[in-house]
Amino acid sequence: MSAVAAKPAAGGAMNPTAMAVGVVMVLILLGIGYVVSPMVLTYAPTVSPTFALMALIGVVIGGVLIGFGTHFVPVGGAPAAMGQAPGIATGVAMLAAGAGLAGLFGGAWAAEQGLVVAVVTGGIGGGLMMAITCMMVNFVYVFGMGIPSASGKVANDPITGDSQAEYKSQGTEGHGLPFVSFVGGVIGGLLGGAGGTLIYIELLSLYEETLPGMMQITSAQVMPIAVSAAGMFAVGLFLVNAVLTAYNITGTIEGPHDPKFKRWPRAIVASAVASALCGLVAVLIVVPL
Amino acid sequence: MSVKVEVIEGGVPHNNILAAGLVSTLVCLYLTYLNVLTNTELFSFFGGLAVVAALIWGSHTIKVLCSYGIGTGVPSAGMIAFGSGVIAMLLATRFGMLAPIVALVLAAVIGLILGYVSNNILNMKIPAMVQALTEMAVVGALTLMGFAALITGGFTFAELTSGAISVMGMTLPTYQQSFIGGGLIAVAFLLGAIAIQHPFNATLGPGWKQDRMLMLTAECGFLSMIVGAVMSFALISAGSAVIALLVAIIGWVYTYQQYMEMSKRDAAAWLDAKPIPDVEGH
Repeated sequence: MSAVAAKPAAGGAMNPTAMAVGVVMVLILLGIGYVVSPMVLTYAPTVSPTFALMALIGVVIGGVLIGFGTHFVPVGGAPAAMGQAPGIATGVAMLAAGAGLAGLFGGAWAAEQGLVVAVVTGGIGGGLMMAITCMMVNFVYVFGMGIPSASGKVANDPITGDSQAEYKSQGTEGHGLPFVSFVGGVIGGLLGGAGGTLIYIELLSLYEETLPGMMQITSAQVMPIAVSAAGMFAVGLFLVNAVLTAYNITGTIEGPHDPKFKRWPRAIVASAVASALCGLVAVLIVVPL
Repeated sequence: MSVKVEVIEGGVPHNNILAAGLVSTLVCLYLTYLNVLTNTELFSFFGGLAVVAALIWGSHTIKVLCSYGIGTGVPSAGMIAFGSGVIAMLLATRFGMLAPIVALVLAAVIGLILGYVSNNILNMKIPAMVQALTEMAVVGALTLMGFAALITGGFTFAELTSGAISVMGMTLPTYQQSFIGGGLIAVAFLLGAIAIQHPFNATLGPGWKQDRMLMLTAECGFLSMIVGAVMSFALISAGSAVIALLVAIIGWVYTYQQYMEMSKRDAAAWLDAKPIPDVEGH
Protein backbone atom coordinates (compact mmCIF):
# COMPACT_ATOMS: atom_id res chain seq x y z
CA MET A 1 0.00 0.00 0.00
CA SER A 2 1.31 3.44 -0.83
CA ALA A 3 1.81 6.19 1.68
CA VAL A 4 -0.96 8.21 0.06
CA ALA A 5 -3.61 5.56 0.51
CA ALA A 6 -2.81 4.87 4.16
CA LYS A 7 -5.21 6.63 6.50
CA PRO A 8 -4.42 7.57 10.08
CA ALA A 9 -5.61 4.88 12.45
CA ALA A 10 -7.25 6.62 15.38
CA GLY A 11 -10.99 6.75 15.14
CA GLY A 12 -13.42 8.79 17.16
CA ALA A 13 -14.21 5.94 19.52
CA MET A 14 -13.51 6.29 23.23
CA ASN A 15 -11.86 3.52 25.20
CA PRO A 16 -13.66 3.63 28.59
CA THR A 17 -11.25 1.25 30.33
CA ALA A 18 -8.21 3.23 29.26
CA MET A 19 -9.94 6.49 30.25
CA ALA A 20 -10.59 5.06 33.73
CA VAL A 21 -6.99 3.90 33.97
CA GLY A 22 -5.92 7.40 32.95
CA VAL A 23 -7.99 9.05 35.67
CA VAL A 24 -6.62 6.62 38.26
CA MET A 25 -3.08 7.38 37.08
CA VAL A 26 -3.69 11.11 37.54
CA LEU A 27 -4.98 10.49 41.07
CA ILE A 28 -1.97 8.28 41.91
CA LEU A 29 0.46 10.88 40.58
CA LEU A 30 -1.29 13.64 42.54
CA GLY A 31 -1.16 11.36 45.59
CA ILE A 32 2.61 11.01 45.20
CA GLY A 33 2.71 14.78 44.88
CA TYR A 34 0.80 15.08 48.16
CA VAL A 35 3.29 12.78 49.88
CA VAL A 36 6.44 14.51 48.61
CA SER A 37 5.01 18.01 49.00
CA PRO A 38 6.00 18.50 52.69
CA MET A 39 9.56 17.40 51.86
CA VAL A 40 10.35 20.68 50.12
CA LEU A 41 10.13 22.33 53.55
CA THR A 42 13.72 21.15 54.05
CA TYR A 43 14.84 23.76 51.55
CA ALA A 44 12.10 26.36 52.04
CA PRO A 45 10.91 26.30 55.68
CA THR A 46 8.57 29.25 55.26
CA VAL A 47 6.15 27.86 52.65
CA SER A 48 3.02 25.87 53.44
CA PRO A 49 3.27 22.03 53.37
CA THR A 50 0.97 21.80 50.34
CA PHE A 51 2.91 24.41 48.35
CA ALA A 52 4.47 21.88 45.96
CA LEU A 53 1.16 20.03 45.56
CA MET A 54 -0.56 23.29 44.58
CA ALA A 55 2.18 23.89 41.99
CA LEU A 56 1.60 20.37 40.64
CA ILE A 57 -2.15 20.96 40.42
CA GLY A 58 -1.50 24.24 38.60
CA VAL A 59 0.71 22.39 36.13
CA VAL A 60 -2.03 19.81 35.50
CA ILE A 61 -4.63 22.57 34.93
CA GLY A 62 -2.23 24.31 32.56
CA GLY A 63 -1.58 21.10 30.64
CA VAL A 64 -5.29 20.40 30.30
CA LEU A 65 -5.87 23.96 29.04
CA ILE A 66 -3.21 23.40 26.37
CA GLY A 67 -4.67 20.05 25.33
CA PHE A 68 -8.21 21.41 25.16
CA GLY A 69 -7.24 24.67 23.48
CA THR A 70 -5.32 22.96 20.71
CA HIS A 71 -8.61 21.43 19.47
CA PHE A 72 -9.88 24.91 18.56
CA VAL A 73 -6.93 25.74 16.32
CA PRO A 74 -7.63 25.24 12.58
CA VAL A 75 -4.81 22.97 11.45
CA GLY A 76 -4.64 22.25 7.75
CA GLY A 77 -1.33 20.54 7.23
CA ALA A 78 0.04 19.89 3.76
CA PRO A 79 -3.40 19.78 2.02
CA ALA A 80 -4.09 23.32 3.21
CA ALA A 81 -0.85 24.50 1.65
CA MET A 82 -2.21 23.32 -1.68
CA GLY A 83 -5.60 24.93 -1.06
CA GLN A 84 -7.38 21.59 -0.74
CA ALA A 85 -8.39 21.73 2.92
CA PRO A 86 -9.25 24.57 5.28
CA GLY A 87 -6.91 25.71 8.00
CA ILE A 88 -3.43 26.99 8.56
CA ALA A 89 -0.93 25.13 6.44
CA THR A 90 1.23 23.46 9.09
CA GLY A 91 1.10 20.74 11.73
CA VAL A 92 -0.62 20.74 15.12
CA ALA A 93 2.61 20.59 17.08
CA MET A 94 4.06 23.62 15.30
CA LEU A 95 0.92 25.74 15.71
CA ALA A 96 0.35 24.79 19.32
CA ALA A 97 4.00 25.40 20.15
CA GLY A 98 3.92 28.74 18.33
CA ALA A 99 0.79 29.97 20.09
CA GLY A 100 1.84 28.61 23.46
CA LEU A 101 5.38 29.96 23.36
CA ALA A 102 4.18 33.36 22.17
CA GLY A 103 1.81 33.38 25.13
CA LEU A 104 4.51 32.10 27.45
CA PHE A 105 6.87 34.90 26.50
CA GLY A 106 4.08 37.42 26.98
CA GLY A 107 3.12 36.00 30.34
CA ALA A 108 6.71 35.72 31.54
CA TRP A 109 7.10 39.49 31.24
CA ALA A 110 4.15 39.93 33.59
CA ALA A 111 5.33 37.25 36.06
CA GLU A 112 6.13 39.88 38.68
CA GLN A 113 2.56 41.17 38.73
CA GLY A 114 0.89 38.12 40.14
CA LEU A 115 -0.70 34.96 38.86
CA VAL A 116 -3.94 36.36 37.41
CA VAL A 117 -2.32 39.21 35.48
CA ALA A 118 0.39 36.94 34.13
CA VAL A 119 -1.98 34.19 33.02
CA VAL A 120 -4.34 36.69 31.36
CA THR A 121 -1.37 38.34 29.65
CA GLY A 122 -0.15 34.96 28.44
CA GLY A 123 -3.59 34.13 27.09
CA ILE A 124 -3.78 37.42 25.25
CA GLY A 125 -0.28 36.88 23.86
CA GLY A 126 -1.23 33.48 22.50
CA GLY A 127 -4.58 34.71 21.16
CA LEU A 128 -2.92 37.69 19.49
CA MET A 129 -0.35 35.45 17.84
CA MET A 130 -3.09 33.20 16.48
CA ALA A 131 -5.20 36.17 15.35
CA ILE A 132 -2.27 37.61 13.39
CA THR A 133 -1.43 34.20 11.93
CA CYS A 134 -5.04 33.52 10.88
CA MET A 135 -5.38 36.95 9.30
CA MET A 136 -2.16 36.74 7.33
CA VAL A 137 -2.98 33.17 6.27
CA ASN A 138 -6.29 34.41 4.90
CA PHE A 139 -4.52 37.30 3.14
CA VAL A 140 -2.28 34.79 1.40
CA TYR A 141 -5.16 32.46 0.56
CA VAL A 142 -7.47 35.17 -0.78
CA PHE A 143 -5.08 37.59 -2.44
CA GLY A 144 -2.12 35.30 -3.14
CA MET A 145 -3.71 32.01 -4.14
CA GLY A 146 -7.05 33.46 -5.21
CA ILE A 147 -9.28 31.08 -3.29
CA PRO A 148 -12.32 32.00 -1.17
CA SER A 149 -12.74 30.72 2.38
CA ALA A 150 -15.15 27.82 2.61
CA SER A 151 -15.61 25.05 5.13
CA GLY A 152 -16.11 21.50 3.92
CA LYS A 153 -17.49 20.12 7.17
CA VAL A 154 -20.61 22.27 7.70
CA ALA A 155 -23.22 23.70 5.33
CA ASN A 156 -23.44 27.04 7.11
CA ASP A 157 -20.89 28.87 9.18
CA PRO A 158 -22.13 28.36 12.78
CA ILE A 159 -21.34 31.97 13.74
CA THR A 160 -22.20 34.09 10.72
CA GLY A 161 -24.68 31.69 9.10
CA ASP A 162 -23.10 32.16 5.66
CA SER A 163 -23.59 29.18 3.38
CA GLN A 164 -20.38 27.45 2.38
CA ALA A 165 -21.19 25.00 -0.39
CA GLU A 166 -21.28 27.54 -3.25
CA TYR A 167 -17.72 28.63 -2.55
CA LYS A 168 -16.24 25.17 -2.11
CA SER A 169 -14.28 23.86 -5.09
CA GLN A 170 -15.10 20.39 -6.27
CA GLY A 171 -12.74 17.69 -5.15
CA THR A 172 -11.56 19.62 -2.11
CA GLU A 173 -12.58 19.51 1.54
CA GLY A 174 -12.98 23.26 1.52
CA HIS A 175 -10.21 25.84 1.61
CA GLY A 176 -9.14 29.07 3.19
CA LEU A 177 -10.03 30.04 6.72
CA PRO A 178 -13.79 30.52 7.33
CA PHE A 179 -14.86 32.89 10.10
CA VAL A 180 -15.59 30.13 12.60
CA SER A 181 -12.08 28.72 12.11
CA PHE A 182 -10.61 32.17 12.70
CA VAL A 183 -12.54 32.52 15.96
CA GLY A 184 -11.54 28.98 16.93
CA GLY A 185 -7.90 29.80 16.31
CA VAL A 186 -8.04 32.84 18.59
CA ILE A 187 -9.81 30.86 21.35
CA GLY A 188 -7.23 28.08 21.00
CA GLY A 189 -4.39 30.59 21.26
CA LEU A 190 -5.99 32.15 24.36
CA LEU A 191 -6.32 28.79 26.14
CA GLY A 192 -2.90 27.54 25.05
CA GLY A 193 -1.09 30.72 26.01
CA ALA A 194 -2.85 30.87 29.38
CA GLY A 195 -2.04 27.20 30.06
CA GLY A 196 1.62 27.56 29.13
CA THR A 197 1.97 30.65 31.32
CA LEU A 198 0.23 28.93 34.24
CA ILE A 199 2.75 26.07 34.10
CA TYR A 200 5.66 28.50 33.94
CA ILE A 201 4.42 30.70 36.81
CA GLU A 202 3.70 27.76 39.11
CA LEU A 203 7.11 26.18 38.54
CA LEU A 204 8.88 29.53 38.77
CA SER A 205 7.37 30.31 42.17
CA LEU A 206 8.27 26.80 43.37
CA TYR A 207 11.88 27.09 42.24
CA GLU A 208 12.28 30.64 43.53
CA GLU A 209 11.32 29.44 47.00
CA THR A 210 13.27 26.19 47.14
CA LEU A 211 16.40 26.50 44.98
CA PRO A 212 18.17 29.05 47.27
CA GLY A 213 18.00 26.57 50.14
CA MET A 214 18.94 23.62 47.96
CA MET A 215 21.97 25.25 46.32
CA GLN A 216 22.96 27.36 49.36
CA ILE A 217 22.93 30.64 47.43
CA THR A 218 20.95 33.88 47.61
CA SER A 219 17.60 34.33 45.94
CA ALA A 220 19.09 36.94 43.59
CA GLN A 221 21.70 34.45 42.37
CA VAL A 222 19.11 31.75 41.86
CA MET A 223 16.91 33.79 39.52
CA PRO A 224 18.55 32.82 36.19
CA ILE A 225 18.47 29.15 37.11
CA ALA A 226 14.86 29.28 38.35
CA VAL A 227 13.70 31.13 35.24
CA SER A 228 15.58 28.85 32.85
CA ALA A 229 14.57 25.59 34.55
CA ALA A 230 10.92 26.65 34.83
CA GLY A 231 10.98 27.79 31.20
CA MET A 232 12.50 24.52 29.98
CA PHE A 233 9.97 22.46 31.92
CA ALA A 234 7.17 24.63 30.53
CA VAL A 235 8.44 24.16 26.97
CA GLY A 236 8.84 20.41 27.47
CA LEU A 237 5.35 20.06 28.93
CA PHE A 238 3.93 22.21 26.19
CA LEU A 239 5.43 20.09 23.43
CA VAL A 240 4.33 16.84 25.07
CA ASN A 241 0.75 18.10 25.42
CA ALA A 242 0.71 19.55 21.91
CA VAL A 243 1.94 16.33 20.30
CA LEU A 244 -0.48 14.17 22.30
CA THR A 245 -3.30 16.43 21.11
CA ALA A 246 -1.96 16.12 17.58
CA TYR A 247 -2.17 12.35 17.94
CA ASN A 248 -5.76 12.75 19.18
CA ILE A 249 -6.95 14.72 16.18
CA THR A 250 -4.67 12.81 13.75
CA GLY A 251 -3.41 15.59 11.61
CA THR A 252 -5.99 18.11 10.55
CA ILE A 253 -8.98 19.82 12.15
CA GLU A 254 -11.06 22.75 10.97
CA GLY A 255 -11.96 24.25 14.31
CA PRO A 256 -14.72 23.92 16.92
CA HIS A 257 -17.32 22.95 14.29
CA ASP A 258 -15.32 19.96 13.04
CA PRO A 259 -16.68 16.50 14.01
CA LYS A 260 -13.18 15.63 15.28
CA PHE A 261 -13.66 18.31 17.95
CA LYS A 262 -15.88 15.85 19.83
CA ARG A 263 -12.80 13.81 20.68
CA TRP A 264 -11.72 16.39 23.28
CA PRO A 265 -12.52 14.26 26.39
CA ARG A 266 -9.78 11.84 25.37
CA ALA A 267 -7.28 14.67 25.09
CA ILE A 268 -8.28 16.07 28.49
CA VAL A 269 -7.49 12.75 30.19
CA ALA A 270 -4.31 12.26 28.16
CA SER A 271 -3.08 15.79 28.91
CA ALA A 272 -3.89 15.39 32.60
CA VAL A 273 -1.87 12.16 32.81
CA ALA A 274 1.08 13.57 30.87
CA SER A 275 1.08 16.87 32.80
CA ALA A 276 0.75 15.16 36.18
CA LEU A 277 3.64 12.85 35.30
CA CYS A 278 5.95 15.54 33.95
CA GLY A 279 4.86 18.02 36.63
CA LEU A 280 5.69 15.50 39.33
CA VAL A 281 9.17 15.06 37.88
CA ALA A 282 9.53 18.85 37.83
CA VAL A 283 8.56 18.98 41.52
CA LEU A 284 10.87 16.10 42.45
CA ILE A 285 13.89 18.12 41.31
CA VAL A 286 13.59 20.27 44.46
CA VAL A 287 12.84 17.37 46.81
CA PRO A 288 15.77 16.20 48.98
CA LEU A 289 17.24 12.91 47.76
CA MET B 1 -5.58 -0.98 12.76
CA SER B 2 -3.02 1.06 11.05
CA VAL B 3 -1.37 0.21 7.80
CA LYS B 4 2.35 -0.02 7.73
CA VAL B 5 3.35 1.90 4.67
CA GLU B 6 7.00 0.98 4.42
CA VAL B 7 8.95 -2.04 5.46
CA ILE B 8 12.63 -2.23 6.20
CA GLU B 9 14.16 -4.20 3.39
CA GLY B 10 17.56 -5.50 4.27
CA GLY B 11 19.76 -3.33 6.40
CA VAL B 12 20.51 -3.66 10.08
CA PRO B 13 17.54 -4.74 12.26
CA HIS B 14 16.17 -2.10 14.58
CA ASN B 15 17.04 -4.00 17.76
CA ASN B 16 20.72 -4.05 16.81
CA ILE B 17 20.68 -0.30 16.25
CA LEU B 18 18.87 0.12 19.57
CA ALA B 19 21.44 -1.91 21.48
CA ALA B 20 24.44 -0.35 19.76
CA GLY B 21 23.06 3.17 20.18
CA LEU B 22 22.24 2.70 23.84
CA VAL B 23 25.58 1.14 24.76
CA SER B 24 27.73 3.59 22.82
CA THR B 25 25.79 6.58 24.15
CA LEU B 26 26.21 5.48 27.76
CA VAL B 27 29.87 4.60 27.25
CA CYS B 28 30.59 7.98 25.64
CA LEU B 29 28.72 9.79 28.43
CA TYR B 30 30.74 7.96 31.07
CA LEU B 31 33.98 8.64 29.20
CA THR B 32 33.35 12.35 29.91
CA TYR B 33 33.64 11.38 33.56
CA LEU B 34 37.40 11.10 32.88
CA ASN B 35 37.24 14.89 33.23
CA VAL B 36 36.62 14.46 36.95
CA LEU B 37 39.14 11.65 37.39
CA THR B 38 41.95 13.47 35.60
CA ASN B 39 40.84 16.94 36.74
CA THR B 40 40.79 18.34 33.19
CA GLU B 41 38.14 19.20 30.62
CA LEU B 42 39.86 17.48 27.71
CA PHE B 43 37.35 14.65 27.47
CA SER B 44 34.28 16.85 26.98
CA PHE B 45 34.14 15.96 23.29
CA PHE B 46 32.91 12.47 24.21
CA GLY B 47 29.63 14.20 25.10
CA GLY B 48 29.31 15.25 21.48
CA LEU B 49 29.98 11.68 20.32
CA ALA B 50 27.25 10.52 22.70
CA VAL B 51 24.93 13.00 20.99
CA VAL B 52 25.73 11.55 17.57
CA ALA B 53 25.27 7.96 18.75
CA ALA B 54 21.94 8.72 20.44
CA LEU B 55 20.69 10.63 17.41
CA ILE B 56 21.49 7.76 15.03
CA TRP B 57 19.49 5.41 17.24
CA GLY B 58 16.68 7.95 17.63
CA SER B 59 16.29 8.69 13.95
CA HIS B 60 15.88 4.99 13.24
CA THR B 61 13.24 4.80 15.97
CA ILE B 62 11.41 7.66 14.27
CA LYS B 63 11.58 5.68 11.04
CA VAL B 64 10.00 2.67 12.78
CA LEU B 65 7.23 4.82 14.29
CA CYS B 66 6.51 7.02 11.30
CA SER B 67 6.34 4.04 8.92
CA TYR B 68 2.82 3.80 10.31
CA GLY B 69 0.78 6.73 9.03
CA ILE B 70 0.42 8.65 12.29
CA GLY B 71 -0.94 11.65 10.41
CA THR B 72 0.88 14.31 12.40
CA GLY B 73 4.10 14.69 10.50
CA VAL B 74 7.57 13.47 11.35
CA PRO B 75 8.73 16.60 13.26
CA SER B 76 6.13 16.03 15.98
CA ALA B 77 7.94 12.81 16.91
CA GLY B 78 11.16 14.74 17.46
CA MET B 79 9.33 17.31 19.55
CA ILE B 80 7.76 14.78 21.91
CA ALA B 81 11.11 12.98 22.20
CA PHE B 82 12.84 16.08 23.49
CA GLY B 83 9.83 17.44 25.39
CA SER B 84 9.72 14.33 27.53
CA GLY B 85 13.50 13.88 27.46
CA VAL B 86 14.37 17.30 28.89
CA ILE B 87 12.11 16.68 31.88
CA ALA B 88 13.77 13.37 32.70
CA MET B 89 17.25 14.76 32.06
CA LEU B 90 16.85 17.75 34.41
CA LEU B 91 15.82 15.56 37.32
CA ALA B 92 18.49 12.96 36.56
CA THR B 93 21.31 15.51 36.79
CA ARG B 94 20.76 15.61 40.55
CA PHE B 95 22.00 12.05 40.96
CA GLY B 96 25.68 12.86 40.43
CA MET B 97 27.66 10.11 38.77
CA LEU B 98 24.56 7.96 38.30
CA ALA B 99 22.93 10.67 36.17
CA PRO B 100 23.03 8.87 32.76
CA ILE B 101 21.58 5.66 34.22
CA VAL B 102 18.87 7.57 36.10
CA ALA B 103 18.06 9.56 32.96
CA LEU B 104 17.73 6.29 31.04
CA VAL B 105 15.36 4.73 33.58
CA LEU B 106 13.32 7.86 34.26
CA ALA B 107 12.92 8.70 30.58
CA ALA B 108 11.90 5.11 29.86
CA VAL B 109 9.19 5.33 32.53
CA ILE B 110 7.92 8.66 31.18
CA GLY B 111 8.00 7.38 27.60
CA LEU B 112 6.23 4.17 28.58
CA ILE B 113 3.36 6.08 30.20
CA LEU B 114 3.14 8.52 27.28
CA GLY B 115 3.08 5.54 24.93
CA TYR B 116 0.24 3.95 26.90
CA VAL B 117 -1.62 7.26 26.89
CA SER B 118 -1.34 7.71 23.13
CA ASN B 119 -2.03 4.11 22.24
CA ASN B 120 -4.95 3.41 24.59
CA ILE B 121 -6.48 6.65 25.83
CA LEU B 122 -6.03 8.44 22.51
CA ASN B 123 -6.83 5.21 20.66
CA MET B 124 -3.90 5.36 18.23
CA LYS B 125 -3.51 1.56 18.28
CA ILE B 126 -0.14 1.55 16.58
CA PRO B 127 1.91 -1.57 17.43
CA ALA B 128 5.26 0.22 17.60
CA MET B 129 3.95 3.22 19.55
CA VAL B 130 4.77 2.28 23.15
CA GLN B 131 8.26 1.05 22.38
CA ALA B 132 9.00 3.95 20.05
CA LEU B 133 7.90 6.66 22.51
CA THR B 134 9.89 4.93 25.28
CA GLU B 135 12.99 4.84 23.12
CA MET B 136 12.56 8.41 21.99
CA ALA B 137 12.21 9.81 25.51
CA VAL B 138 15.46 8.00 26.38
CA VAL B 139 17.13 9.35 23.25
CA GLY B 140 15.96 12.89 24.08
CA ALA B 141 17.25 12.69 27.65
CA LEU B 142 20.62 11.16 26.72
CA THR B 143 21.13 13.58 23.82
CA LEU B 144 20.57 16.56 26.09
CA MET B 145 22.91 15.04 28.65
CA GLY B 146 25.49 14.60 25.91
CA PHE B 147 25.14 18.26 24.94
CA ALA B 148 25.49 19.19 28.62
CA ALA B 149 28.68 17.16 28.90
CA LEU B 150 30.02 18.60 25.64
CA ILE B 151 29.36 22.21 26.66
CA THR B 152 30.17 22.15 30.38
CA GLY B 153 32.39 19.11 30.76
CA GLY B 154 30.05 17.45 33.26
CA PHE B 155 26.53 16.22 33.71
CA THR B 156 25.71 16.85 37.37
CA PHE B 157 23.30 19.51 38.61
CA ALA B 158 26.07 21.51 40.29
CA GLU B 159 28.18 21.59 37.13
CA LEU B 160 25.23 22.58 34.96
CA THR B 161 24.05 25.43 37.18
CA SER B 162 27.27 27.13 38.23
CA GLY B 163 30.10 28.64 36.31
CA ALA B 164 33.08 30.84 37.08
CA ILE B 165 33.84 34.28 35.77
CA SER B 166 37.15 36.07 36.18
CA VAL B 167 36.98 39.76 36.93
CA MET B 168 40.33 41.56 37.00
CA GLY B 169 42.25 38.43 37.87
CA MET B 170 39.79 37.23 40.51
CA THR B 171 37.64 34.18 39.88
CA LEU B 172 34.07 34.65 41.08
CA PRO B 173 31.32 32.06 41.06
CA THR B 174 28.41 32.89 38.80
CA TYR B 175 25.12 31.18 38.07
CA GLN B 176 24.19 33.16 35.00
CA GLN B 177 27.07 31.79 32.98
CA SER B 178 26.06 28.15 33.10
CA PHE B 179 24.31 25.54 30.97
CA ILE B 180 20.93 25.94 32.66
CA GLY B 181 21.21 29.47 34.05
CA GLY B 182 22.40 30.88 30.74
CA GLY B 183 19.67 29.20 28.72
CA LEU B 184 22.16 27.16 26.67
CA ILE B 185 19.88 24.18 27.38
CA ALA B 186 17.25 25.75 25.13
CA VAL B 187 19.71 25.88 22.23
CA ALA B 188 20.79 22.30 22.90
CA PHE B 189 17.13 21.30 22.98
CA LEU B 190 16.40 22.54 19.50
CA LEU B 191 19.79 21.49 18.07
CA GLY B 192 18.89 17.95 19.07
CA ALA B 193 15.19 18.12 18.18
CA ILE B 194 15.92 19.29 14.64
CA ALA B 195 18.77 16.84 14.13
CA ILE B 196 16.62 13.88 15.22
CA GLN B 197 13.58 14.58 13.04
CA HIS B 198 15.27 15.89 9.91
CA PRO B 199 16.95 12.73 8.54
CA PHE B 200 13.83 10.58 8.14
CA ASN B 201 11.81 13.60 7.02
CA ALA B 202 14.40 14.27 4.32
CA THR B 203 15.00 10.73 3.08
CA LEU B 204 11.56 9.09 3.36
CA GLY B 205 9.86 7.79 0.31
CA PRO B 206 10.15 4.86 -2.07
CA GLY B 207 13.91 5.34 -2.43
CA TRP B 208 14.56 5.21 1.30
CA LYS B 209 17.84 3.51 2.20
CA GLN B 210 18.83 2.78 5.74
CA ASP B 211 22.52 3.58 5.45
CA ARG B 212 21.83 6.87 3.69
CA MET B 213 19.41 8.02 6.41
CA LEU B 214 21.75 7.01 9.22
CA MET B 215 24.66 8.78 7.53
CA LEU B 216 22.53 11.90 7.23
CA THR B 217 21.74 11.60 10.94
CA ALA B 218 25.42 11.39 11.76
CA GLU B 219 26.00 14.42 9.58
CA CYS B 220 23.25 16.38 11.38
CA GLY B 221 24.63 15.22 14.71
CA PHE B 222 28.13 16.45 13.95
CA LEU B 223 26.70 19.71 12.62
CA SER B 224 24.92 20.19 15.95
CA MET B 225 28.12 19.20 17.71
CA ILE B 226 29.99 22.00 15.91
CA VAL B 227 27.53 24.53 17.34
CA GLY B 228 27.75 22.89 20.76
CA ALA B 229 31.55 22.99 20.64
CA VAL B 230 31.49 26.68 19.74
CA MET B 231 29.18 27.34 22.71
CA SER B 232 31.51 25.38 24.98
CA PHE B 233 34.20 28.05 24.59
CA ALA B 234 32.17 30.06 27.12
CA LEU B 235 32.24 27.43 29.82
CA ILE B 236 35.33 25.21 29.47
CA SER B 237 38.98 25.89 28.71
CA ALA B 238 39.81 26.97 25.17
CA GLY B 239 42.07 23.96 24.53
CA SER B 240 39.34 21.46 25.39
CA ALA B 241 36.80 23.36 23.31
CA VAL B 242 39.20 23.38 20.33
CA ILE B 243 39.55 19.59 20.59
CA ALA B 244 35.77 19.20 20.58
CA LEU B 245 35.47 21.60 17.65
CA LEU B 246 38.12 19.74 15.65
CA VAL B 247 36.48 16.37 16.32
CA ALA B 248 33.13 17.81 15.26
CA ILE B 249 34.47 19.38 12.07
CA ILE B 250 36.39 16.25 11.04
CA GLY B 251 33.32 14.11 11.74
CA TRP B 252 31.07 16.45 9.85
CA VAL B 253 33.30 16.65 6.76
CA TYR B 254 33.65 12.86 6.64
CA THR B 255 29.93 12.13 7.11
CA TYR B 256 28.95 14.87 4.68
CA GLN B 257 31.19 13.39 2.01
CA GLN B 258 29.86 9.91 2.70
CA TYR B 259 26.30 11.19 2.55
CA MET B 260 26.93 12.88 -0.79
CA GLU B 261 28.42 9.63 -2.10
CA MET B 262 25.34 7.71 -1.02
CA SER B 263 23.02 10.31 -2.48
CA LYS B 264 24.79 10.00 -5.83
CA ARG B 265 24.67 6.21 -5.52
CA ASP B 266 20.90 6.21 -4.92
CA ALA B 267 20.03 8.91 -7.42
CA ALA B 268 18.60 7.87 -10.79
CA ALA B 269 21.10 10.06 -12.56
CA TRP B 270 23.68 12.57 -11.51
CA LEU B 271 24.59 15.68 -13.42
CA ASP B 272 27.24 18.04 -12.14
CA ALA B 273 25.35 21.14 -13.13
CA LYS B 274 26.96 24.53 -13.36
CA PRO B 275 25.45 27.82 -12.25
CA ILE B 276 23.25 29.55 -14.82
CA PRO B 277 25.69 31.02 -17.36
CA ASP B 278 25.56 34.70 -18.20
CA VAL B 279 24.22 35.12 -21.68
CA GLU B 280 26.04 37.85 -23.53
CA GLY B 281 24.14 40.79 -24.89
CA HIS B 282 21.55 40.95 -22.15
